[in-house]
Amino acid sequence: MKAMLLCDFHIHTTYSDGSVDLRRTINLFGQAGFDVIAITDHVVNGDNPLGKLAHRFKFSVTAKNFSTYLSHIKEEAEKAQDKYGMLVIPGIEITKNYLTTDNSAHMLIIDVQDFIPACISYEEIFLEAKKQKALTIACHPHYMSGKGDRDTLFLWNNREKYARYIDAWEIANRDDVFNVISLQKYPHIANSDFHKPKHLYSWKTLLNCAKDINSIKQCIKHNKGVALTLFRN
Amino acid sequence: MTLFWFFVGITFFGIIGYLLQMIAVRSFTASSNSGDGIRLPRTFQAVSILKPLKGLDDGLFDNLESFCNLDYPHCEIIFALQNQNDPAHKVAKKIKDKYPTRDITIVVEHCDEGLNPKVNNLMTAYKRAKYALILISDSNVRVGKDYLTDISQYMDDPSVGLVSNMIRGVSGRSLGAFLENLHLNSFVVGGVCVLDKYLKMPCVVGKSMLMRKAELEAIGGFSSVKDFLAEDYIIGERIHALGKKVRLSGHLINNVNEYWGVKRFINRHTRWGKLRWQIGGAKYFSELAGNAVFISFLPMVIMPVSKLSLLLAATVSSLKIVHDFYIGNKLRADMNPFLYLLSPVKDLIIGLVWFVPILSKTVAWRGNRYIIGKDSLLSPYPERETEIWGLRVVTAIKTRLAWSKT
Repeated sequence: MKAMLLCDFHIHTTYSDGSVDLRRTINLFGQAGFDVIAITDHVVNGDNPLGKLAHRFKFSVTAKNFSTYLSHIKEEAEKAQDKYGMLVIPGIEITKNYLTTDNSAHMLIIDVQDFIPACISYEEIFLEAKKQKALTIACHPHYMSGKGDRDTLFLWNNREKYARYIDAWEIANRDDVFNVISLQKYPHIANSDFHKPKHLYSWKTLLNCAKDINSIKQCIKHNKGVALTLFRN
Repeated sequence: MTLFWFFVGITFFGIIGYLLQMIAVRSFTASSNSGDGIRLPRTFQAVSILKPLKGLDDGLFDNLESFCNLDYPHCEIIFALQNQNDPAHKVAKKIKDKYPTRDITIVVEHCDEGLNPKVNNLMTAYKRAKYALILISDSNVRVGKDYLTDISQYMDDPSVGLVSNMIRGVSGRSLGAFLENLHLNSFVVGGVCVLDKYLKMPCVVGKSMLMRKAELEAIGGFSSVKDFLAEDYIIGERIHALGKKVRLSGHLINNVNEYWGVKRFINRHTRWGKLRWQIGGAKYFSELAGNAVFISFLPMVIMPVSKLSLLLAATVSSLKIVHDFYIGNKLRADMNPFLYLLSPVKDLIIGLVWFVPILSKTVAWRGNRYIIGKDSLLSPYPERETEIWGLRVVTAIKTRLAWSKT
């Protein structure tokens, strides 16, 4: 029997607010036997004081360093493929942070090709992602434990308007599970939202498909052969 | 004041101990670098490498891969796991797929014959071992290409029954890992070298043990040590009792400790302390006396702080930093020199941890709890009514706190 692919599509590095640099992050997952990962550093909206702070402290990938970010991921992805047989996909996490949780939203753009700014409208972001044939995932869309004021509820509160643009929803993020996603029967995946090494042990996705980017995107979109696992040591 | 000078006296003996460690490590590394004892031409006896796996150790992929890159003509590698859902299984499988020409077997078999989970794993691996020489190697060690060539030469001498290796802590990237590596590269390495050089005691480091099946079976096989936590020590003692030599190879192997928390560092050394207390008895007190940093801080705790007590603590801490830096350099531990400033902090933690084994016999290891007895003999953790009740109270409080957060 062919084993399912062990995947994590939500990983941060020192390109934004992760504590581990890109190479070490990829190695950490490779050493643990992962099959597919996506590096998804924050692209923060710079149109309000919160976003400006994130840009000031370099917690965001910007239009200026995006090509370096992308080429660095591709370079490390080749090494990871050779050494671990692990597929590394470039991505970003569009981060729209506002003072109220109802207005904030984060979404992953998996297999991104060109920079997408976070300060444009949601429709524009989704359409640009579609144009690039990237996968769009709404992350931590509901109330999270222990985060309080950092919840990102906008996409969930406006799901009727935006669900058609979203390929999958994070049904589990690190230690949280959002049962509302399954009640709506939305396509789902589970990720670690990795920022530091201990986050390796968290919810993950198992995919029953071939280990290539197109099969993975199709598998997530159609949400067949997708399973969740709480990865523990 | 008399009490102060009493502590100064004990501290002095601790510093003598540090000096002895430095000399012993220097002599050990000098002999290992000179390649003493290598006899050529020689035969390469086939070796079965037994790797018990449980969970993900830091750098597991590279650790396992280093055994596939051994420059040795005849060896097989047996990865042994208790169940297929262990995350290490996927890593072992990837290694096997990456090296299709290597003789690699993955054994997944549940075994609960003993209380020591590592020995349970070894028993299933041993059944598959093809060769007369077996190497027990922990999953958290990484070796160089010439490792097996170097250590197997000792077994060309029939009077040698077991070969073990010195370890050095490497790759630290978190506070707990820095403390762990500092402790391995000072107290553990220094202590083992002193025991080996001056006291001629057979020292076995369980992370790497090469022996013959014949001798292992003569001492009763793995099943005779299945309930001991310090199975390495017992195997070494028993092989020594057979009249065979137990040798410590000069080949240093890397113990990879990358992302450890401080709690894990404390847990490991509490466990190892309990083990030494149960094996060594009164000798265990020499460890406290030998912790000069901890002793030098005691006058400041139990007496009013004076310039003299501050001077004592500062001097001893500085000496210990130099000591650890020296040993680290000799071992080529590749540590940032500034991290040696943590040495006194580490010794203070270890000084506090020292008391725990005297107060508690409970050992928590890889998700299991045991009671440890003489010579590290394990017995199941008794689930007494009072303890179950206590656990229920703690669980209820934790649950309530978790709810109040959400």
